Amino acid sequence: MKQSRGDWGHLVEAASRVSSFAAELAALSENELPSLLDFLGTEPALPFSYLSVHAPSKSRRDSEGEMVAGLERLPIIVDAIVVHPDRIQDVDLYRALGARLVIENMDARKLAGMSGAELEPLFEALPDAGFCFDIAHAWTVDPTMEVGEDLLDRFASRLRHVHLSSISGDGLNHETLSREHEQLFGPLLSRCRDVPWILEAEPPRR
Amino acid sequence: MDALERLAERSDTGFRNLIEARARTERKLIEVRDRLGEMPHDPDACVSLFGSWGRRELTQNSDDDWAVLVDGDRRDRVQPEPQRISEVLGADGPAPGTQGVFGATVFCDDLVERIGLDADDNSNLTRRMLLLLESVAVLNGEARDHCRDRVLAGYLDYSIKDYRPPRFFLNDLIRYWRTICVDFVGKEREGEGEKWALRNLKLGTSRKVLFAGGLLPILLCHRYRAADFEPFLRDSLERPSIDRIAWAFLELGAADAGIRAIGAYDRFIGLLGDPSARDELVRLSREEAQGSEVFELGRRLGREVERGLLALLFDTGIEPLVREYGIF
Repeated sequence: MKQSRGDWGHLVEAASRVSSFAAELAALSENELPSLLDFLGTEPALPFSYLSVHAPSKSRRDSEGEMVAGLERLPIIVDAIVVHPDRIQDVDLYRALGARLVIENMDARKLAGMSGAELEPLFEALPDAGFCFDIAHAWTVDPTMEVGEDLLDRFASRLRHVHLSSISGDGLNHETLSREHEQLFGPLLSRCRDVPWILEAEPPRR
Repeated sequence: MDALERLAERSDTGFRNLIEARARTERKLIEVRDRLGEMPHDPDACVSLFGSWGRRELTQNSDDDWAVLVDGDRRDRVQPEPQRISEVLGADGPAPGTQGVFGATVFCDDLVERIGLDADDNSNLTRRMLLLLESVAVLNGEARDHCRDRVLAGYLDYSIKDYRPPRFFLNDLIRYWRTICVDFVGKEREGEGEKWALRNLKLGTSRKVLFAGGLLPILLCHRYRAADFEPFLRDSLERPSIDRIAWAFLELGAADAGIRAIGAYDRFIGLLGDPSARDELVRLSREEAQGSEVFELGRRLGREVERGLLALLFDTGIEPLVREYGIF
């Protein structure tokens, strides 16, 4: 999907071919957010019953306040706004996003937000926020999946959706879910049967 | 400890609004029973409350939906007369629900004998289902219990089989749920569109809890010999709907989904208890609701409740029963 970034109509069409149930539109760079706001502002007919937007997590130029203000303008049809905890500096700003704010656990390369203990204070400060469980990120932190299990134990009531994929050996890219990971992740995924699963890479062809 | 509390113990946030509503309901029940305690009544007549009273989910603005239920012969005069009850129940707040379903004298014979066909009108169906699924006695509970047992026995007739859910009851329950859904639109088309947003959200939350709270124990009769259906159902239906659902989530190994579904329902109860949010929902028309953040929050909570219930019904060991009995 990288080649289509910013072409929201095309991305929606591609996502709906995989599932008409749930999708996440990722404005990972800050300069993608205005075009996403414009696109959603046209009130496009979307097939999804659950729509998430991934907030910018890189190439930040604007102040944190300006970025959160942009996220606040996302229309009412957006159910969840995924934010990386390591990008949160002024927690108070994010209260404005209310229950739409969803905080994702981080991978092993990050400096914060990887474990339950690290995320706990953030959720205490943002009691309405939900949790996005990135299972591949949890695997990079702890391949035994105990960290993942602890995340689900601690934040069971907050879980809104799952990010599902494998992750490349260098830890940089989300890849199609491997058979090995499908088996390894199975027990934790079975605890998430009721929430949307967002595929962060092409679906497996099997 | 009841199932709701057991599930709450496994949740990091608990179900504060539901637990508080339950305590509030119990307090109010004591008050109402005290006030009705001295009221003269025929030995076969009881007063029963329905809806949020039966679910033990009273908020400050809940309706007092009540009926005088008679477990005996039809006659012109029954004590207590509805007028006397309305002096105690609903005098200070919202009157019983519309369409004359409540606030009246009801004969149990009608609930037992008029099942299906033309004579079983919407009011009769609603009263019968709510008696079984969400009711609580405030005067002469013995008569209410006997009436409930008669209605239940009426479903568990010669047609039931060991280890098969009782289809007659199941079909009537499904009919009731679909009737609620169809009537929601029917009322709107007849120009009764007031409280649209509130009614719409309740359809997606408390009405679903009502339906699922009946569906689960009926399906789970498949675990028992036919002779054991009645005690199982009586015991199960005596608990509030949300307890039956919490129990099923625990029993069927889906505690995580249960924590989220009931957690969302708990937040919805909290929303209804917030005077400004409730006022907004009462006011909003269908068109206005589409731009309301409060309505949107309620809608999202309703979808979370539904997703949890669907996971319970389709992703646990009960799925073969849903597949075999739930559609045709």
